[in-house]
Amino acid sequence: MALDNLNAVTFNLPDRKLKVGFYGIAGCAGCLLSVIFNEAAILELISKVDLKAFPLVKEVNIEDGFDVVFMEGLVACQDDLDMLKRIREKTAYLIALGACAHTGCVPAHRYFTAQENIKHLVYKKRDFIKDLEPTGIGAHVKVDYTIPGCPPDRNEVVRFVLGVVLGKVPLPYMDPVCVECRRNGNLCVLEKDKMCMGSLTRGGCDAVCVNGGFECWGCRGHIDDPNLEALTNLLKEKGYTEKVIHQRMRAFIGKSYDVRVPVKVEVKK
Amino acid sequence: MSAKTINLNHITKIEGHAHLSLGIENGEVKTCELQAAEGARFFEGIVRDRPPQEAFEITSRICGICSTAHVMAALSAGDKAVGVKSSEQTWLMRRLLNNAERIRSHAAHLYFLALPDYLGYESAIAMVPEHGAAVRKALRLLKIGNDMTFILGGRVMHPVSAAVGGWRKLPTGAELKTMRSWMDEALPIAEETFDLFNSLEQPKFKKEIQHVALKHDKEFPNVYGDVAVGGKRFQQQDYADALKEERREYSNANFCTINAKPVMVGTLSRLYHNHALLHRKAQPFFKRSNVAENWDNPFYNNLAQAVETVHVVHEVIDLLEGFEPKKEPIKEGKRYGRGVGIVEAPRGIVIHDYIANEKGIITDANIITPTAHNLYEMQEAIRQFVPTILHLEKERLILEIEKLIRSYDPCFSCACHFLEVKWA
Repeated sequence: MALDNLNAVTFNLPDRKLKVGFYGIAGCAGCLLSVIFNEAAILELISKVDLKAFPLVKEVNIEDGFDVVFMEGLVACQDDLDMLKRIREKTAYLIALGACAHTGCVPAHRYFTAQENIKHLVYKKRDFIKDLEPTGIGAHVKVDYTIPGCPPDRNEVVRFVLGVVLGKVPLPYMDPVCVECRRNGNLCVLEKDKMCMGSLTRGGCDAVCVNGGFECWGCRGHIDDPNLEALTNLLKEKGYTEKVIHQRMRAFIGKSYDVRVPVKVEVKK
Repeated sequence: MSAKTINLNHITKIEGHAHLSLGIENGEVKTCELQAAEGARFFEGIVRDRPPQEAFEITSRICGICSTAHVMAALSAGDKAVGVKSSEQTWLMRRLLNNAERIRSHAAHLYFLALPDYLGYESAIAMVPEHGAAVRKALRLLKIGNDMTFILGGRVMHPVSAAVGGWRKLPTGAELKTMRSWMDEALPIAEETFDLFNSLEQPKFKKEIQHVALKHDKEFPNVYGDVAVGGKRFQQQDYADALKEERREYSNANFCTINAKPVMVGTLSRLYHNHALLHRKAQPFFKRSNVAENWDNPFYNNLAQAVETVHVVHEVIDLLEGFEPKKEPIKEGKRYGRGVGIVEAPRGIVIHDYIANEKGIITDANIITPTAHNLYEMQEAIRQFVPTILHLEKERLILEIEKLIRSYDPCFSCACHFLEVKWA
C-alpha cells in the first residue's frame, strides 16, 4: 500500500494554553484511567493545559471551545452517537483514545454474533435492545488522530499531549509488534502454535502481552499492510479452522479491517 | 404544595454513565429513577463460542478499574468448567494480583472520586494547591498498585499472565523483592489515608441493608469463599439460590434481591461478614473507626475501603514472606461442564457462570457484576435519603446525593455490560 495514500494531519493550534477535554462513550473507562495512571506525570501534564472537562474526575466540566478532545469508547447506542456528534462540534481536534474509539474493540464483536445472541439474551434476560451497529468513532465523525490499544500504553498519551503542547507530535508507530517482540528476546509464539496476531498488529506496546507469556490479540489494530492471507494460511497449517482464526482476528478490531492512523503529523502554532 | 424535579444527567466522578431523575412532591419522593446509561456491550454473548480458557481476555474488558477481578472470576469459573484444580501457588498468585487491584482501585476511588466532595473541591486536581502532598501520596499508592499488577499480571490493565489452570509467566525473585519494598512505602500512605477518612464527618443516614459478601473460615475473602448473606452461607455454584433476580411489571430491569429486598455488596459488606479475619495489624484501625456502629450507613463504605487498604498491604506482606514461586505446567482441562467463579472485586462480588460443552467451548454465560447487585440498593438508598436533606439548597442537595452514589463506588460500565436499566 503506497504511503502517500495514508492520512496526514496538521494541527493548527493557538499559541496559548490549549483547552483540552477527556470524554468517554460506551467503554470500560480503561483508556481514561490510563491517562490518570501516569502517576508521575499527570499533575505536570494537567498544569501545561487548560483542562476544561474530564467528567471521570471532575465535577465542573465546561463543554465548549476545545482545542483538543480525547474520546474513549465505541458507538454502541444512540446516546453514544448523540454525545459523540455534540462533542465533535465543540472541538477543533478530536483524538480517538484507545481501541474502542479506534475499531470498536471487543464490544464490536457483537456485530458478528448479534442475531443469535439477541435471541439468547432476550430469552434469558428479557432485555430490549435498541442499539446501533457497534463501531469506532471514525465511522461517524472526523477523527484527527488515533492513539490505539486496549488500553493505549500510558506513556503514549503523555507523549502526545506534551508533544502537541510543545509543537512536536511523535509519529504513530509503524512496525508490527514482532519488531519489539524480537528485540525483547521473546521466542516467537507462532512457533509454539499460538494464534499470535503480532505480525498484523501495530506495535508501540513493547509486545507487552507476549512478554507476559501470552500471545498478541491485536488490540492496537492493523499495520498499514497486514498480510491477513499469509497468517491465515500459516495458522490453518497448524490445524486451526478458518472460523476460529477469524474469530481471533476480529476479537479486538470488529470489522474495521481498513482503519488507519495518520502517518504524518505536523503541529503549527 | 410544592413539586420539584431534580435531574442529574451524566453524573460525574463515577465509573461509567448514569442519570438520576427525582420527582419530589410535598416533601415526598414520588419517583426515583437511577438509570445506568451505558450502551449494551454484550459480553455474555461475546464469550460464547470460545473456550473457557480464553474468556478472561474478553471479560477483562468489561471494566478498566476492576479488570483484574473479572479476570480472576473468569479463571475461577474456567477452572471449574474444564475440571481443573489450580495449584496452591496459582491461587496465591491470584490473591496477590487481586490485592494489587484492590490497592489501586481504593486509592483511585477514595482520593479521586470520593474525597473532593468531603473537602469541598470539584476534583482531586483542584485539591492540589492546598492538599498537594495528599494527592501526590494518593498517586504514589495508585502507582504501587499498578506496578504490582504489571509485575504479577504482565500488564497494568487487562492482565494476561494469569491462566486457567496455572500462570503463564511468574515474577522473578528480584521483582518480588521490589514489590515487598513497595509495601513499606504503601503502608504509611494507607494509614494516613485511614486517618484522613476517619476524620471526615459522615452524613447521618441509616437504612436497612442486606450485606452480601464472600466468606471464608480462615482468610479475609478475596478470590474464593462461600456467598454469605444474613446468617446463611451458600456454595458458589448455588449463588442463584441466594440471590434472586426478580421481575417487576413496571420495570424492564432485573432487580437483584433477597427476600424481595435490595442487597449491598462492596467493602462495607466484606467487613460486615469478615471483620474478625482482618489482619491483626489492621484490626486497630477497624476498631478506631466506627464502621462497626454503622453497618447500616452506606456512606461508611468509604471509610471501610480505607480500613481494607491497610489490611491488604499487611496481607500482601504476609503472602510475600518466603514466597518463591516455581515454574509449573499449566493444567489442561479434563472434562467440560458448568463452572461458577465468584470473587471479590473492590466494589463487591462479581459472578462469572459458564457452561461449556464437550467440544470445549462456552455455550452459555451469565455475568453479574457488583454494581448490578447494588443498583436496586442505591436507588432505594437515594429514595430514603433525599427526604432527610430536602431542607438543603439545591446545589448542596445535589452534592449530597452524588456523595451517596459515590460511596457505593459504583461501576456503571460493569453494570451495563449487557443491559440498559430503566427504573420506574
